[in-house]
Amino acid sequence: MVSMKHYGWALTCIGGAGVLLTAVLSYTYAPLVQSPPFRSPEAYRILFWHVPFAWTSFLAFCLLFTGAIAWFVKRKEWGWNLFCTGSDLGLLFGLGVVISGPIWGSAEWGVPWDWADLRLNTFGLLTAVALFIVLSRRSQPDGVDTRDTLSTIGLFGFALVPITAIATTFYQKRHPAVVIAQTDETGLDPKMQQVLIMGIISFWILMIGLSILTFLAYKLENKLQILLYSLDEEVVH
Amino acid sequence: MLPLIQLSGLDIHRGNRLVISEIDFELFEGEVVALVGHNGCGKTTLLESSAGMHSISSGKIQWRYDNSEMKIIRDSEGRRNSLPPMGLTLQKNGMSGEETVEERLKIALAVSGCEINDNKVSQLLTSWGLEHRKYDRISQLSGGLARRLAVLSGLAPAVMSQKPRAILLDEPSEGLDESARLLLVNWLRGLVSRGHGIILATHDPEIILAADRVIRFDEIGNVSETSQNPVSTNSELPEPVNEAEISKLSSLFRWAYRMEKRNPIDTIGRLIPAILALLMTHTLISQEEISVVGTDFFAALILLPSFICVVIPPALIPRYAEENCGRWWAAIIGPKFRMASSIIGSSIILPLPLIYISWLILSDRIDYLNNSDILAWLWLPGLVMFSVALAASSLHLLVSDLRRSSASVVSLLLLILVWPFLELIDALEMIILNGMSFGYSLDEPLSMIILSCLVSLLVWGISVYLPDA
Repeated sequence: MVSMKHYGWALTCIGGAGVLLTAVLSYTYAPLVQSPPFRSPEAYRILFWHVPFAWTSFLAFCLLFTGAIAWFVKRKEWGWNLFCTGSDLGLLFGLGVVISGPIWGSAEWGVPWDWADLRLNTFGLLTAVALFIVLSRRSQPDGVDTRDTLSTIGLFGFALVPITAIATTFYQKRHPAVVIAQTDETGLDPKMQQVLIMGIISFWILMIGLSILTFLAYKLENKLQILLYSLDEEVVH
Repeated sequence: MLPLIQLSGLDIHRGNRLVISEIDFELFEGEVVALVGHNGCGKTTLLESSAGMHSISSGKIQWRYDNSEMKIIRDSEGRRNSLPPMGLTLQKNGMSGEETVEERLKIALAVSGCEINDNKVSQLLTSWGLEHRKYDRISQLSGGLARRLAVLSGLAPAVMSQKPRAILLDEPSEGLDESARLLLVNWLRGLVSRGHGIILATHDPEIILAADRVIRFDEIGNVSETSQNPVSTNSELPEPVNEAEISKLSSLFRWAYRMEKRNPIDTIGRLIPAILALLMTHTLISQEEISVVGTDFFAALILLPSFICVVIPPALIPRYAEENCGRWWAAIIGPKFRMASSIIGSSIILPLPLIYISWLILSDRIDYLNNSDILAWLWLPGLVMFSVALAASSLHLLVSDLRRSSASVVSLLLLILVWPFLELIDALEMIILNGMSFGYSLDEPLSMIILSCLVSLLVWGISVYLPDA
């Protein structure tokens, strides 16, 4: 019988292969942009990872926030596992965004980070929140109080996501507009769009696969903890 | 007769362990209930939970108020209320070493609505052999004397009250000498004869003998209850005083002010880095550099010292951590504790003068002095910096809730405050360049200042209200 673990591995492998293929296609299939207006036309190719990283990390942050709310409302183990999964993947994909972005920014704008850009900053903050949660989960003893505090911190992001979304749409300074659907403003070449969509789908599949595997790993960790507690009881009594 | 305290169907987890399962318990007037059992069996958890100090997985905790109404103190749905007047002694003393002996006793009386009468306070202190130390700081007391004071502060709200009160004592005899233990037993029975109710967690056989009921936690998590005839004692308690207005929040604010006045670690700890930043800026950055980089850089330099000042961890956190002092206050104040602490812990006074001092020191580096709007409106970003201070303080307090808070990187969360700070820089830059204007578009200084304030207040609101929701 095919278990969730097998689905998780399969999706992770398919997604991973798609991500690598996207990188190859971004060099071999996607056309070069014109200079000007681009200052550093070759560097634009990082977009084919940068944008999918950003969209996927939003999904991961949604998992984190759903998990935080589920923990607060239901107090169930699955809610906490979802929260842990979301924070791990939010950090992973968030770091992808905040690493690839400054590389592109350095080449294109001449500066790696624009402190005046709301979208960049809120995204950086989301990643910082995820990093805080991951580090704290490792350093703190697990317990209801710890979970409550960390879930609260996770919900900060819940407030940040709509701000980021609004910022993305209405408040742009240096950062380009949303690049997913072709409009007069974005003017995305059809070949670029194909590679970009392929990248996004691959990253999403990768994220779903990793979510399943991470969630299952946390479930196993909980079972192990329960067994350890029962061993503690035996030792004490 | 309604009970003083009623616990119904209580389930409490500590860590991942279910420490208390399906417990129903009532404390009535005129009885001492002893919680007995081995280490880690849940005595302290039950006692502290009775004061609403732990979140509960299921069930509810109710207390009787003076109007004979039973109110929920805490339940599994997240409802919370402040405790009625009561006495509390925690396993650790719950007192800051900075307080004086007399102050601590007066605080315990003030938060439970007893009139503060110096003669009565002296009488109480004399009874427990502390009168000669009344003006000393608690840090100067021996462990035994500090414990005497903690126990006395727990008992005093009932001793001085004409109405029946509930008293919670965790390991009260721990660290007390023979004479103080005997005094404690006498006072327990004396209080019971006046109609007060007492719960205590203890291992001490002498104290157990003074109880009317014993609740025993066995090794496999079962709870059994036995009634007994308590030891008879000869007790003489001081006479009660009149009721006064309960002043919990004002007591906390006064306590924090006194602690800071006595040892201003918060003020100095914030000022030194801010002034260092200002002086370094003045020394290292020239007029030419500012003119090359731009006005936004200059605005950032003006606001930077006050920003540094507000994001530094408040001294309230180590004060709360000392001997579980913060937990005592949290139990007494109830649901408003976090909000009050975030206000107390934030730097209210310093940001505004720091901004003006920065301006006075750095203004020779820029040629916009003819713009009178700058000096006239510099107070506005300074005022908004107070909301940033509130947010920073609430984040520090939120992280201090973690059991190993020193192992957490709180600065990762403080990054969120960079954004309101940047908005303030933009606003100040606009004021420097174009003067103050009152439009509401995103490029106007007023809207930037409002946005900065709103973001800070949002962060503050989330970190104050969500953890207790």
